[in-house]
Amino acid sequence: MEGLRAALEKSIASRGLSLTPDEALKVASWVGRMPTPVELHLFDTMWSEHCSYKSSRRLLSVLPTNSPDVTLGPGEDAGAFRFAEHAGKCWDVVVAHESHNHPSQVLPVEGAATGVGGIVRDVYCMGATVTGVMDMLRFGDPLGPAGSRVRSIARGVVNGIWQYGNALGVPNQGGDTCFHPGYDDNCLVNVVAMGVVESSRLVHSRVPEAAHGEPYVLVLVGKPTDSTGFGGATFASADLDEGGLRAVQVADPFLKRVVSIANAAALDFLFESGASFGFKDLGAGGIACVSSEMAAAGGMGVELFLDEVPTAVEGLPPEVIACSETQERYGLAVPERLAARILAIYNEDYEMPKLHPGAGAALIGRFVDDPVYRVWCRGTEAACAPVEAITRGIHHERPWREAPITAPGMPSREFSPAQDISRMALSLSGCSRKPLFSYYDCEVQGIALFRPGEADASVSLPVPGCMAGLAVSGAGNPWIGELDPFLGGASAVAEAVRNVVAVGATPLAATDCLNYGSPEVPEVMWQFRRGLEGISEACKAFGFTGGPLPIVSGNVSFYNQTPAGRAIPPSPVVAVFGRISDASKAVDISLKEPGNLLVLFGPRRGELGGSLYAREFCGGSGGPPPGFRPAEEREMAGEILEWISAGRARACHDISEGGMALAALEMILADSDAGGCGIELSCSCDAIALCAENAGYLVEVRPGDLPPQMPGFASVIGTVTGDGSLSGPGWRLEVSLLRPAWADRLASVVWREE
Amino acid sequence: MSRPGVAVIQFPGSNCERETARALESAGLSATIIRWNEGARLISSCHACVLPGGFSFQDRIRAGAVAAKEPVMEAVAAMADSGRPVLGICNGAQILVESGLVPGWAPGSVEAALAANDIPGRSGYLSGWAFVRVAEGASRSPWLAEAPGGAIPLPFAHAEGRFEFAQGTSLDHLISRGTPGLLYCRRDGSPALGFPANPNGSSFSLAGILNPGGNVLAMMPHPERAAMLWQVPPALGGSWGGLRRASRRLDVPGPGAALFLSLATFLGAGS
Repeated sequence: MEGLRAALEKSIASRGLSLTPDEALKVASWVGRMPTPVELHLFDTMWSEHCSYKSSRRLLSVLPTNSPDVTLGPGEDAGAFRFAEHAGKCWDVVVAHESHNHPSQVLPVEGAATGVGGIVRDVYCMGATVTGVMDMLRFGDPLGPAGSRVRSIARGVVNGIWQYGNALGVPNQGGDTCFHPGYDDNCLVNVVAMGVVESSRLVHSRVPEAAHGEPYVLVLVGKPTDSTGFGGATFASADLDEGGLRAVQVADPFLKRVVSIANAAALDFLFESGASFGFKDLGAGGIACVSSEMAAAGGMGVELFLDEVPTAVEGLPPEVIACSETQERYGLAVPERLAARILAIYNEDYEMPKLHPGAGAALIGRFVDDPVYRVWCRGTEAACAPVEAITRGIHHERPWREAPITAPGMPSREFSPAQDISRMALSLSGCSRKPLFSYYDCEVQGIALFRPGEADASVSLPVPGCMAGLAVSGAGNPWIGELDPFLGGASAVAEAVRNVVAVGATPLAATDCLNYGSPEVPEVMWQFRRGLEGISEACKAFGFTGGPLPIVSGNVSFYNQTPAGRAIPPSPVVAVFGRISDASKAVDISLKEPGNLLVLFGPRRGELGGSLYAREFCGGSGGPPPGFRPAEEREMAGEILEWISAGRARACHDISEGGMALAALEMILADSDAGGCGIELSCSCDAIALCAENAGYLVEVRPGDLPPQMPGFASVIGTVTGDGSLSGPGWRLEVSLLRPAWADRLASVVWREE
Repeated sequence: MSRPGVAVIQFPGSNCERETARALESAGLSATIIRWNEGARLISSCHACVLPGGFSFQDRIRAGAVAAKEPVMEAVAAMADSGRPVLGICNGAQILVESGLVPGWAPGSVEAALAANDIPGRSGYLSGWAFVRVAEGASRSPWLAEAPGGAIPLPFAHAEGRFEFAQGTSLDHLISRGTPGLLYCRRDGSPALGFPANPNGSSFSLAGILNPGGNVLAMMPHPERAAMLWQVPPALGGSWGGLRRASRRLDVPGPGAALFLSLATFLGAGS
């Protein structure tokens, strides 16, 4: 026993595994001997935090995951919900959400590119057409002590996103970008993908029931296997250091495009054949994970022949072939009788081996009734373990300790509207995101109704010929999260919901990515638990279709900290998806006509904690952050949806960073080419009225369209003018003078070296 | 009567074939997406063909260069020679240039290039909306015959979209051969005079060029992404922006539809 432990410890050290000796002993007891290298690497991946959720799984159960719209909740590669009926067919939207934080910090271009590449595979493998991606980005302070590196990372990440997404032909739906010094040493790159599939053609990530009755084989599709990304999941589950370079994968969007088109042809063939089949993308843990998970999910075993795996180089050790995370690969579980035609689609119709040496499809394994995971390589058995042991998982109970923060009160200060609003607009939080979006192809596929920046949520018409619009927005405010981790979670949901509601779409589902420091630190664990509670509370408040707003897919990202142990601010990031059945009714944020009225939803409150105003002018001291008021939020959202549905709202913008002041300013700035509209506020214009960031909306309404009885939380606070300025009693801001600097600010800071 | 068939050629790496086919269908035509290796036979039975946007063959060597050498392009060249309409959009335009089908002054030789964007203070990819107008004489083209006279807003998205010709090639030289097809302009239709109205630094503000016969058009902006009015950004300036704000209907043709409707009329499928 001691000898075995010593051998395992030696193996762990020499292989750079993150398994603990106790975990390795557990593996040894299941296989009944010293584990093989393939087994050690397989369990190392499967039991990494990234794959096993060993610190978080039980806590995640507080999240609501079901509603009448959900067709597939968390558990497979992506979640799905009912979206529309069109021409006699039902369509689902498929969504997935992931982080690519550590890879993006060490190799920003490749990290962000493979982030896009990985998340679209999760949606493609459900049988869907991918119709959008978006990234929620958190960078350090580009003007701070780490500025030069932060800027270079930001540029690299944006390059990675456009180089991949544009070539793949998936429209970018925007997302959001924050700059906070807490991310100086650990950026966050959260990525969401969405797609549509006919409900009857949703494919599952498992070998089907039919495999008990006839022979089924595993077909590996895509790029030839190499050693890239070997140990990637483990890398993502440890403190960040620069030693992880080899664990970052290499992206190939061209090959992905070809594989995707060929996949569509293969799926068409399989559906026409009437045979049932399984389809799953290769991500963390590569071939080893995809084969064992597909087998286990179908209650079967699998025999894998590594010699049949096309490789890019000769002589790769079996554990590398089995566990590397080479990109652009999928696994198909199909009846053996159809395998030849499947191989021909990839290898002949689409000529994949000619387009990229070694690429294509190959038969690499077969599913067996005996629930054993067996790997053969060069005539010897490289792994043999009960399938169920591999996927059974592992759990850690992590201690937690409260670490509340008392927000310092706001100092008194004279507020000068025109000057202060200008400064907020030119801050890194307030300035235009267009320099970033202009790298992205937002219009490929021809489905964009509202591009990023035009409205609070991006809206597309993903089902050809169908009038239903899919609205999507992502949010997560680190300045609120660091003051109150509960509100960090709740406000992420609430903000994303408001964005979707503001275009007129009913929120139907959400995804989350929970970015935190080390779960081994009790204070971080407390932040995590509070964040989950916040998300859960908010989701319960925002059910619109009977039941809560369900979280249908998501990801936990721990260990976002430097080797010195400084964790990022608690950063739950939430994406919300909504439907507007008649997309012709959707509204953007740009002002339409002088003479209209501006209506404020949500009375302003003196909760400036974490606000842009407090950060710019009060050294961050603003008292408590805006509270979460579920009943009021829900009621306001319902009213906004009604106004938009009735055609009453000509423009609508939710109130977020920079308060009502920046919301109003953005409505003027959005009218960029058409020009001319301005806003004259008739309300009192103190710092709280203009800069508080508690929940609310601004709505442009024609005078004749005001309802006879306004809801209690709504009031007319100004008019739309034709002079292009933002003004109030005794002050005026000439927006045309501000516009060039506002439009160029991000480029002049982040791209200054170019 | 069956609707005239238009081939949309899908190379490895094409990524705009579906919306291009949709735009053709909306104009009353029948569009078929044909794989590059499915053989010339399928293409030669079509009345016209479109090379859609994307990154064919990963932009290896130069954008469009590998696709231009594929056997399928012989069938496309035969189509062009017989006077049938051929359109290349974005990467499709790059392929037409690399194959020598445009400007086509000396058939078979490459006489132009689509060079990297030349934009002040920025490199790489740029996407956005630009205005174009039909160049004088270009309405002889079956793709442009019914395009309206003023500024037409179209989206663009590329890293290499700057038309370049041999040093010393004058505008007169181009005009005398009927090369200018579409020109970048300002929203009132006046000449672009550089960035941002000319979004990539293209020579003579060229957004699209024709062969002498006018039946082959290579253009960088994407008409298929503006085939419907709802695809126009709500805050866009100019008359199309005004139309967009006034009508939210989802079934009204947009500024890019003119090309496909022109083709439909030419092929006798117009409504």
